[in-house]
Amino acid sequence: MNFLTGKHIDRRMLLRGAGAVLGLPLLDSMRPALAAKAPQSPGRVGVVYVPNGIVMKDWLPEKTGADFTFTRILKPLERFRDDIVVVSGLSNHAAVKAKGGGHAKASGSFLSCSQPKYTAGADVRAGITFDQIAAQKFAADTRVASLQIGCEDARMIGNCDTGSSCAYTNSLSWKNPETPMAVEVNPRSLFERLFGTVDPSLDAATRARRALYKKSILDMTRESTQSLVSTLGAQDKRKMDEYLTSIREVETRIAKAEKDPEIPLGEKPSGIPFDYTEYVKLMFDLQVIAFQADISRVSTMMLGREGSVRTYPEIGVPDPHHPLTHHRGHPDFIEKVTKINCFHVELFSYFLDRLQATKDGDGTLLDHSTILYGGALSDGNQHSSHNLPLLAAGHAGGQKGGRHVAAKPMTPAANLFVDMLNRAGVPVERFGDSTGRLDLNG
Amino acid sequence: MTPRIYLLLTSLGTIFAYDSADVFAFVKKNCVACHNASVSSGDINLAGFETAQSFDDNREIWERAVSKIKTGEMPPPSMKKPPAQESAALTHFLEAEFARQDRTAKPDPGRITARRLNRTEYNNTIRDLLAVDIRPADEFPNDEAAFGFDNIGDALTLSPVLLEKYLYAAERAVRTAIFGPEKRKPAAVHYSAPVRINDTVDRPALPKDLFHYDESGLSTRHAFHVLHRFPVDGEYSFRVVLNGHRPNQSEPATPSFWIDGKMIREWSVDATDLEGQIVEVRVPVTAGEHLLSASYLKNYHGLPPKYNGPQPSARPPEPMISVRGKLTEKDIEVLRKYGTKIKTDRIETRVDNRFESIDVGGPFTQPQGPSPASTRQIFICPQQTPACAQTIITTFARRAFRRPVRPAEAAPFVQLYSLARQQGDGFQEGIATALQGVLVSPNFLFRIERDPVAAGKAFYAPVSQYELASRLSYFLWSSMPDDGLVNAAAQGRLRQPAVLRAQVQRMLRDAKSRALIENFAGQWLQFRNIDVMKPDPGKFPDFDESLRFAMRRETELFFEEMVRKDGSVLNVLDANYTYLNERLARFYGVAGVTGPAFQRVDMSQSPRGGGVLAQGSILTISSYSTRTSPVLRGKWILENLLNAPPPPPPPAVPSLDESKTGESASLRQQMEEHRKNPACASCHSRMDPLGFGLENFDAVGGWRTMDGKFPVDATGTLPGGKTFRGPVELKASLLDGKEAFVKGMTDKLLTYALGRGLERPDRRVVAAVAAQLAERNYRFSALVQSIVESLPFQQRRLSAGPLSGAKSE
Repeated sequence: MNFLTGKHIDRRMLLRGAGAVLGLPLLDSMRPALAAKAPQSPGRVGVVYVPNGIVMKDWLPEKTGADFTFTRILKPLERFRDDIVVVSGLSNHAAVKAKGGGHAKASGSFLSCSQPKYTAGADVRAGITFDQIAAQKFAADTRVASLQIGCEDARMIGNCDTGSSCAYTNSLSWKNPETPMAVEVNPRSLFERLFGTVDPSLDAATRARRALYKKSILDMTRESTQSLVSTLGAQDKRKMDEYLTSIREVETRIAKAEKDPEIPLGEKPSGIPFDYTEYVKLMFDLQVIAFQADISRVSTMMLGREGSVRTYPEIGVPDPHHPLTHHRGHPDFIEKVTKINCFHVELFSYFLDRLQATKDGDGTLLDHSTILYGGALSDGNQHSSHNLPLLAAGHAGGQKGGRHVAAKPMTPAANLFVDMLNRAGVPVERFGDSTGRLDLNG
Repeated sequence: MTPRIYLLLTSLGTIFAYDSADVFAFVKKNCVACHNASVSSGDINLAGFETAQSFDDNREIWERAVSKIKTGEMPPPSMKKPPAQESAALTHFLEAEFARQDRTAKPDPGRITARRLNRTEYNNTIRDLLAVDIRPADEFPNDEAAFGFDNIGDALTLSPVLLEKYLYAAERAVRTAIFGPEKRKPAAVHYSAPVRINDTVDRPALPKDLFHYDESGLSTRHAFHVLHRFPVDGEYSFRVVLNGHRPNQSEPATPSFWIDGKMIREWSVDATDLEGQIVEVRVPVTAGEHLLSASYLKNYHGLPPKYNGPQPSARPPEPMISVRGKLTEKDIEVLRKYGTKIKTDRIETRVDNRFESIDVGGPFTQPQGPSPASTRQIFICPQQTPACAQTIITTFARRAFRRPVRPAEAAPFVQLYSLARQQGDGFQEGIATALQGVLVSPNFLFRIERDPVAAGKAFYAPVSQYELASRLSYFLWSSMPDDGLVNAAAQGRLRQPAVLRAQVQRMLRDAKSRALIENFAGQWLQFRNIDVMKPDPGKFPDFDESLRFAMRRETELFFEEMVRKDGSVLNVLDANYTYLNERLARFYGVAGVTGPAFQRVDMSQSPRGGGVLAQGSILTISSYSTRTSPVLRGKWILENLLNAPPPPPPPAVPSLDESKTGESASLRQQMEEHRKNPACASCHSRMDPLGFGLENFDAVGGWRTMDGKFPVDATGTLPGGKTFRGPVELKASLLDGKEAFVKGMTDKLLTYALGRGLERPDRRVVAAVAAQLAERNYRFSALVQSIVESLPFQQRRLSAGPLSGAKSE
């Protein structure tokens, strides 16, 4: 199987166990907490974010309630009709009120609903984001409290958007008001963070032999170090004792890891795939594995950074994204932005496919997740943070689907986040600038 | 201990006697008022120092007293000064006493704890052992440092996490050597340009004289530079995304792409708004780090005529669209005709074309199979037989352990080979398994020195020939000994003076001695830190990656000349040369250097002067991100050049209010205020004047005459009363103290060479080496030779010997 160039079907086989099955690697930190889980499936929280706004005329369904029709941009999600709720009428007042670059303040406040401080220095400040409230709650039960994933490099430093710090556009999640959480953009690093350094592409027999050799090497090294120790002076002896301790500890870890259950993994990604579609799907795959193995229950993912100038030649848009969104009403530009918006939604539908296809307890992962999809700007041309393009997918906490919920205009987006947290099993009454709870089933 | 009497010749020509009783009287009269049990200024209590035994027991405190009295720091200005003659007599007496102590102490070479290879040494050793340069240790945790260096045996620990990494690194390195480079699928790495130049403030939009500028564009702020590490040899693609604008009516922009200062390709892009325009090129690149640059060639050529630039554009103005409101029919027509890039009147005057990002993709084609060099080094026996396996494995172990290996030592590795064969794996797989075992053996990971079997009751003994070879190679190369060293050791000739001298000369001339520059000089003077400095981009918009690389390279080349051409170590303090490329020369305001290559430049006429104190690297690492700090620079000089580190500041001292600097009061005025506090004055009176002498250099080493609204005042008065103005005079006065510098440098180089902190018996060695150096014109090789020939480098205290005789510092 091949993460990077494999066809669709290969990737789907990944989680069905058609891929290599390997004993989990050595370190404690690599061992998913599969054992001794509560029989009831926990809630999962996800956010999939798109930059530079969405063309609202092609996003927003006209009718509200259960008999809404799928618009052009939402079309790829039609097969998930019963799994999604389109939400309209929500505003991010913090973004509207804050000073600073239009893109920076939108993404810098999106999930916290708190005003980001206007600065290009190190004194960045915003608010804790709602995914991190969930991460705190689940931290004791999972090995990786939350994942932050990016599909566009985010190592910008300094000033990114008319005097606003790059921190506001590089990161979506904030651990606390002073600490933006860096996104992982390299699938290889993400894989190693989740599963360690083993090479899952080898066949089972080869892996078993290599494991045997590794144990023999450690065994032999321990013995020769022990016999060395007796011939050394005090200081050198201390160094060798330190080495022996490490050898024994690693041996113990291997012994423990051998008792772990096995989960199927694909080939270790080699880096960032060249093709954007492959890249995004790979990042979705890794999130699904993390959810499935209960390594983590919370993830946020940016399909791009605000201000992104990615080009999409694969869908006939060779122009950079950001300048296109400043279309000033020009139909050719708007059409191209809509194409990008459609493309992102189509990629998102792959994530829902994977969540739905993955068994979890008495149902599927999608049954136990609440996933937010959308952007921090509605109209990218005007940098508007009113009537945000948002939808929620999944059935965590009994969340229903098949509806377009139109909130009263100017309702804080935070009200939606309060509902999502509660559905995921994180009881909160207020969050950010919330004025209540927007019941997705209401 | 009987009091000794010294006859001293004073400056007045009189001879008088001075004995230990006089010392105690002096202390009682001049020192004890502040340094007693109840006051103990500076944590020093001299009240009990009333016997000659205290010279030995409290040597460090006495030495500090001598140095403070000599510099005039003590007694402080607020107290009554003893007559100069008395002070001189006291310091003479004590220095003679210290010298006597050192002379009569039992020589002791010390004992070096088994040294784990640090990250640099591991990478270099793997490179030399297997002929694979994959730098596996870059993934290891950082090494702990002590005494200023990261090669100190006692400090280097080994955690389970590191052992995990060793196992993985051994597997990768051995498999690369035997089976060829890891197959890598193409992957992309994205580098965004960090600062958007249209957002920088207080910058003239265009150079004043458009006829004289860097036509390669590399040194302009329009360029983008990034250092990228290529994992394997192969073909890579580079996608360069443009951004910014050129004025309407300009000739096309000419972006270009460079690797390591060599132009790979240039393009012509005809657009006013360059945002998101892409140019791409694909070329083969070797594994390792390379500097990637994107620049605009002849950026100020072909502008509209009103810019008065070279070769003005002959194009007619293009139609433009209005900047606000809905697009008009006419606007849409313009857009249809000229593509979707908007040309508005608002951006017309900007020449802020720049780069958005560089994407590196690859490898697309990769050489396959092991390198001939690796195969040659490992498979020294041609058959795939058990006998050959034994030879291959034993030879490899001998090289990896840097000494002969007994058959019993090699046996377990041969067993690993047999195990793999029993499991059905092939010959090469078997060898790979055995070699991995060798690379996690403590005999490879550590440099363990052994007591000779026949040492008898000796207190110390020479290290073995092989241990000496390793000491030399890790000192000068940060890597394993090569065949030349090992052969000399095997023949037992390495200790012969002529052989040893020739080996050292050969090693210094070898390219591998670059390790000495990077690791010794880089840590001693801390210029390695330039890699992680983050000068404030608003205040120092000129500081970009290319300047950072140039600064580091300047200092490295400066030292390289000293090492390879055997220059005087005093060049560190002051020199008439340095190495600059166009970028750095323009930044320094030095004329006549063109192109990205570095060249030797005479600095004798420059107000900057020479030596490390004129180098951007040193001036930047000793500054804050927003401003200079005379305190930091003064401290840096005391610590690194004068070997006299000041003690840490007392607690609860208010720091400077940085926001006011350069506005309500000059930095100097604020600091003088600070120094009125006597608790601060004793150290700051030494640190600050040195730093003030460098105030003509801003926080990234640029030359300046104004600091904010205030003219720079680069005068200083040293505690002895000596005054100077500016960096050139400062350096002249530092040269007066060259003995302290030479001792300091010797001290650091010996620490680095031994991989342990120095102890009291080593002082005599430092003093002797420093004295020899003065007789040998301060040549660098003389310093290295003296260290290599010294007792602690050649010998080792035996574990059976008594542990006393070495008071730890």
